[in-house]
Amino acid sequence: MPDRDGTLNTGDALAAALRALPDAAPQPDLWPQLARRLDRRRPRAWRRALPVALAAGVALALWLPHGVLREHRPAAPTAAQVPPAPAAARADDLAELRRRSQALEGWIAAFSAHAPQDSRGLMAAVEIEDLIGLVDVQLDAARGSEDALPLWRQRVALLEELAAVRGNALAVAVRDEDAAPSTRRL
Amino acid sequence: MNGSFRIDIPDTVIARAKRGDLGALETIYRAFERPSYTLALRLLGDAESAREVVHDAMLHLLERIGQFRGDAPLWGWLRQIVVNEALMRLRRERGVAFEELPDDDDTPGTAPPPWMLADARRLEGALAKLPALTRSVLWLYHVEEYTHQEIAAMTGKSVSFSKSQVARGSSRLRDLLEPEEEAAPCLTATAH
Repeated sequence: MPDRDGTLNTGDALAAALRALPDAAPQPDLWPQLARRLDRRRPRAWRRALPVALAAGVALALWLPHGVLREHRPAAPTAAQVPPAPAAARADDLAELRRRSQALEGWIAAFSAHAPQDSRGLMAAVEIEDLIGLVDVQLDAARGSEDALPLWRQRVALLEELAAVRGNALAVAVRDEDAAPSTRRL
Repeated sequence: MNGSFRIDIPDTVIARAKRGDLGALETIYRAFERPSYTLALRLLGDAESAREVVHDAMLHLLERIGQFRGDAPLWGWLRQIVVNEALMRLRRERGVAFEELPDDDDTPGTAPPPWMLADARRLEGALAKLPALTRSVLWLYHVEEYTHQEIAAMTGKSVSFSKSQVARGSSRLRDLLEPEEEAAPCLTATAH
């Protein structure tokens, strides 16, 4: 932890005292309620099978004529044959994604304070923040740039979504501020 | 005893949960039920709100577990969701501007800090008397070991704000615990 200061022994003692407080469990038990919600959303067997069957049908329909034609063509490289991006290019991409991620975070932090959010906006923002949290824990565990690159792309995409949510709240706040004086004049 | 969030769930359980196996989902819920609720309760200071936060956070986690790659600790993700949900609730219910503690004289004497002598009930009572944001920052820093930078990002405040809240919160706790007057707890965690 870069900024955890070890200057206060009293701080350590406080941390120990707080950690020693007893745990608690929600009462009444939440699981029955959660299980019902999860069970309702669980895809039934036929719901799972239908898209797979449809996809297989479409793939077959597309593949058949190509398969026939391909007999007379040189084979196109498959995904497995496509060489991975060279390490240098990956490093450049990573640096660019990190820079973009940082810029977006800065923008979001700067504007969040000025943009009060309604509860729908807040929930949407938290939803995205939860997913960013998932990407971050996976980034911590990523082994090498090949692993990290798609995660950074995902992180930037989520931050862009979050910026859009925050930006929308800011636009609403500005619009309300602009509208306020004329309302008072009436 | 706190600090029990760092629980590793076996890959086989996560794999079954990804397939929608309710038994595996319950195993995950049971593993994190207490640390999640305790964290939410400490941040919010209200049992019913904490219960709702755990419900929503668990639902988010368990519904999206299919997106979890499995090479990172599941607890890290869940803990972040609980913190996000709790802070969102504080903002929504108590407004964007949290009640904050004013500057305090924080000059500890030579006597042992009072929280070393206080029993759990008194410490919980004193914690409950802190403003919600101060208590949250104090807890996130001391117990969950988030850095000041991380706390600043999560609360939408500055790093120096996080540092000052830790200092002022500690000082206020000291004041609340030092007098011998009986503090009525309203953040009592019932051990089960």
